[in-house]
Amino acid sequence: MRAYIASRLVQTALVVFLSLTAVFGMVRLSGDPVLLFMPMDIQAKDVNEFRERLGFNDPLAVQYARFIAGAAHGDFGESLRYRSDAMTLVLERLPATLLLGSTALVLTLVIAVPLGVLSAVRRDSLLDHVGTLATVLGQATPGFWLGLMMIYLFSVQLRWLPTGGRGSLAHLVMPSIVLAAFFAARIARLTRSAVLDVLGEEYVLTARAKGLGEGRVIGKHTLRNAAIPIVTLAGLEAGQLLGGAVITETIFAWPGLGRLTVQALLNRDFPVVLAAVFLISVLYTLINLTVDLLYGWLDPRVRLQ
Amino acid sequence: MKKYLGGGVTLAVLLVAVLAPWLAPHDPLRADLVQSLRPPGTPGHWLGTDQLGRDVLARVLHGARLALFIGGCTVLLTAVVGGLLGLVAGFVERWPSAALMRIADVQLSFPFILLAMTINAIVGLGLRNIILSLSAAGWVVYARVVRGEVLSVKQREYVHAAAALGVGRVRLLFRHVLPNVAPSIVVVASLQFSQFVVAEAAISFLGFGVQPPTPAWGSMLSESRDFLYVAWWLAAFPGAALALTALGVNLLGDWLRDRLDPKLRV
Repeated sequence: MRAYIASRLVQTALVVFLSLTAVFGMVRLSGDPVLLFMPMDIQAKDVNEFRERLGFNDPLAVQYARFIAGAAHGDFGESLRYRSDAMTLVLERLPATLLLGSTALVLTLVIAVPLGVLSAVRRDSLLDHVGTLATVLGQATPGFWLGLMMIYLFSVQLRWLPTGGRGSLAHLVMPSIVLAAFFAARIARLTRSAVLDVLGEEYVLTARAKGLGEGRVIGKHTLRNAAIPIVTLAGLEAGQLLGGAVITETIFAWPGLGRLTVQALLNRDFPVVLAAVFLISVLYTLINLTVDLLYGWLDPRVRLQ
Repeated sequence: MKKYLGGGVTLAVLLVAVLAPWLAPHDPLRADLVQSLRPPGTPGHWLGTDQLGRDVLARVLHGARLALFIGGCTVLLTAVVGGLLGLVAGFVERWPSAALMRIADVQLSFPFILLAMTINAIVGLGLRNIILSLSAAGWVVYARVVRGEVLSVKQREYVHAAAALGVGRVRLLFRHVLPNVAPSIVVVASLQFSQFVVAEAAISFLGFGVQPPTPAWGSMLSESRDFLYVAWWLAAFPGAALALTALGVNLLGDWLRDRLDPKLRV
């Protein structure tokens, strides 16, 4: 087990290293970062001075080595815009994103799993049909449109909730619902089909035949076996939540990692972009590792190697 | 149900996209400041006008053209490139295949929308670059799925039989293996299509991708944010068109998967 975790952590480090190299390469190939960042009317002398100061005049290999050496220490250089350490900026925004993401994840699971289970257990009932319709619509509705429409309804018309920003609990309501909506739809659909699969198994029939109550049949014998695909998807989706957060945070002016990344990309503030890429890929791979470890706990037949 | 609703909506959106120049009552780019921000129901402007007095209906109809064009090009590009790479990676089990799959792993360790947006911000904005960015982020799924399928198909008896009869490797791959993995490619393509359309809109919404004044749904939604207090219709209609398109294509994709490849999970 320990060896497995160690080898997965090495893999994580490799993935993070490769994605940083790819982004570094793309940034350098796309043009001179100084010229892209500087105003149009700047003097050639000033450009050169700026370039010299930031080390952009050195050979590419030297720049790359310096970048990787810095990155290994968590040093991605200074933000070109804010004049402060890029990694510190990114880390400052992380708690807001984690708060939003975990609220959305909890909301997703609390709504989607019971809905999926009920739909499967009461197959072809009114609840099942309404649930299926809701999940199909939920999957088709783009989050940023849902967000705009909710702002119009709840902030502009009803004046119940703030349009954006972070502070009170009221600020968290709309962003977390918008972020959760799409994932809840997917998870509810998957839960329904996973539970339906398991309900057809012989051990469920056996459990019923020996006179177990419906609550135990569903709660213990069905759910635990249906959990593997649900946990897989929830884990993958938890990673995609980071992507969804980019859009949700921008609509609701939520001061998180996603919004910072969008702004850094729009401003061509590449040290911040690279620091954000680093943090996001670390988070994403750690989430996936957690999911894999959960398998062994859920289903002892799964042997990790 | 899925078949008729999905097929019907998809066909309708397709027709609108093709016939947009004839269906649209106005030029989607022509501004008329006297007529700005008119609500839906105004004579001559059924869905109202935007801040520059451009007809919202005309812009939404032309938006369909752009959305389907971008979605179509991206799906085609990713299916051909990702499909070919997956085909070869599954067939030739040497180190380049392993390397390719590691690249795929690295890409999959990053949220799709964020990857496409980052690539787009770096390579530059505009129509061609958004297609390239989405493709660069999206080919991985095909490569993965197709490789997995090839690994299983190439062990089948008819492939061994063909090889024993002296069929060359290239012919074996394209005549005997490819037709048997083609259904998976079609299913993945149909499921990816709406993802690409929505991702393009999201990226344009964030200020990358297709730029104003081109009537793309995403950039229309982006512009509408400044007028949400006075003109709800600027946000409502392009978004509804986007959701409807995604709904139709999703249903069609689900139906295709049920028909062609029920086990596939994407």
